[in-house]
Amino acid sequence: MDGLVARSLSKTYRGTSGLVRALDNVDMTIAKGRLFAFLGRNGAGKTTFLKIASALLLPTAGTVHLFGIDVVEHAREVREQIAIVPQEGKPFYHLTPREHVEEYLRVRGATRETAKSRADEVLEGMGLLSYQHIPAMVLSGGLQQRTLVAMVLATEARFLFLDEPTLGMDPFARRQVWDVIRHAARKGSTVLLTTHYLDEAEQLSEELAVIEGGHVLYQGTPEALKSKVRQEIRLHFDGGFTREELSSYGEVFAERGGFTLLTTRDRVEELTRRALERKVAITVGPVTLEEAFLTLVGRAIEEEDAEALA
Amino acid sequence: MTWRTQANAIFRICYFYGFLALRRQPVFFVAIFLTPLSFLFFLYVVAPHSVLPYGVVGGVMFTALFTGNGMMTDCAYLRLERQLQQIFITSPLRPMSWILGMALGELAWTIPAIALFIVVLALVVPIGVLSVLGLVGVILLTWLLSTSLGFLLSTFFRQLREIWPIGMVVFTSLSVLPPIFYPIAAIPASYRWVAFLSPSTFASQLADHAGGLTVPTISVAPALSSIPVEVAGMVLLTVLFALMAMRLARWREP
Repeated sequence: MDGLVARSLSKTYRGTSGLVRALDNVDMTIAKGRLFAFLGRNGAGKTTFLKIASALLLPTAGTVHLFGIDVVEHAREVREQIAIVPQEGKPFYHLTPREHVEEYLRVRGATRETAKSRADEVLEGMGLLSYQHIPAMVLSGGLQQRTLVAMVLATEARFLFLDEPTLGMDPFARRQVWDVIRHAARKGSTVLLTTHYLDEAEQLSEELAVIEGGHVLYQGTPEALKSKVRQEIRLHFDGGFTREELSSYGEVFAERGGFTLLTTRDRVEELTRRALERKVAITVGPVTLEEAFLTLVGRAIEEEDAEALA
Repeated sequence: MTWRTQANAIFRICYFYGFLALRRQPVFFVAIFLTPLSFLFFLYVVAPHSVLPYGVVGGVMFTALFTGNGMMTDCAYLRLERQLQQIFITSPLRPMSWILGMALGELAWTIPAIALFIVVLALVVPIGVLSVLGLVGVILLTWLLSTSLGFLLSTFFRQLREIWPIGMVVFTSLSVLPPIFYPIAAIPASYRWVAFLSPSTFASQLADHAGGLTVPTISVAPALSSIPVEVAGMVLLTVLFALMAMRLARWREP
């Protein structure tokens, strides 16, 4: 049985400038026990999808099944199987991280002993033990976010929805959270996470989907997404070249005060030579998931613009 | 989850949202106590002393009604700003248990202030155990009515900034304008029925009965002065608000 199956899922909102199609005929399948990442720009439809799948929002059309249960028709049964970290949620200001985890588990029906032992485990894993008895109101934003993620991951729910779980965390904290998410997946939870951090998706996910303008552009492994980009080498030029000059070699993005070019292996020598002639520093490396994402979404935006002009 | 685990969950929410919050920030107690105490002081200074017992009972009822204001602001705040309601309802917890837990938490915040006002009442007028029990019954009914209304109103908010002005308008209209701090006899006889347009008037009249205070007959509708009718009115309004809240609560956005 699959963890999540969405078919022809659509959601239309009434916005200030008319109807907004947040999701448009989305089909998606997430295998049980899979760690799945959802990528997309702001407003691409990630959170809308996640809210519908977690029974927080009604779809306009289509269906979602979680472990075979219809989310629209049987929300109560679905809610028993899930836990969610909402985007930009915040903990209770007066409770400590330990109280958040233990009280939430007890509200969900765990015994005092189970709540305590799971709290011990997750607080240690998330690096919160030193802060476990400090009320959230005096914790930093990153620690508050970790508290929220800890209370949800400690549930060991069958399906975990994590909407930008590491938002506002430092790189060390993010890695600690990744470990706990991986641990939850190893224990059997199916995880759907949305993120803007491409490295996070690359590190964590076994499978991912890219969404843009309510359409799923890609679903598959991160490696397969990278291979979809025809070029395999990335070169970053600190300056010395114009976009027009570089665009004949491949895809160009403005980045860090210069340009990043995605190109094929056989053009590298020529470009390196030209850079040396102009005394321009360049960095060479393999194409990353971020570039693959930018290329894929960039193409979709260009196509959409071309359609709009036509 | 069984009904037993739901009951336990309700108790846990009441514990961490009510008792723990009050223990960690006792200033809330002062904040809750201060407004009715100020009204009482004002009455003591400017009104004849015969009105004072009504003011003390008013303090009890004001505090009980305050649970509705707390319920409205807290539920809207936890849903819109903290998104904690979303975390709690996407779980085996029933939405009704979330509401009840929060409502009990609000009651926990007000218990010290209510107890203090009852002690003051006992000092002002001679009241027996039966009166206190009657008063406790009215307080519980008022709490149910007020928190049901508070939760119902919280479901309408779409932005945080709407909460405070609307809350101020609604709960000032419910707890200051109607005869809560003053006897209904102060309203001209032919207009007394108008006060019953506010659900809190039922509560305050019952509380005056329980406190052994004189409650005049409403000449236009004498039934409004009878205890069974007042109890029935409160129960009916409570059920109505609770049903509407359950129906309108946006557990799932449309």
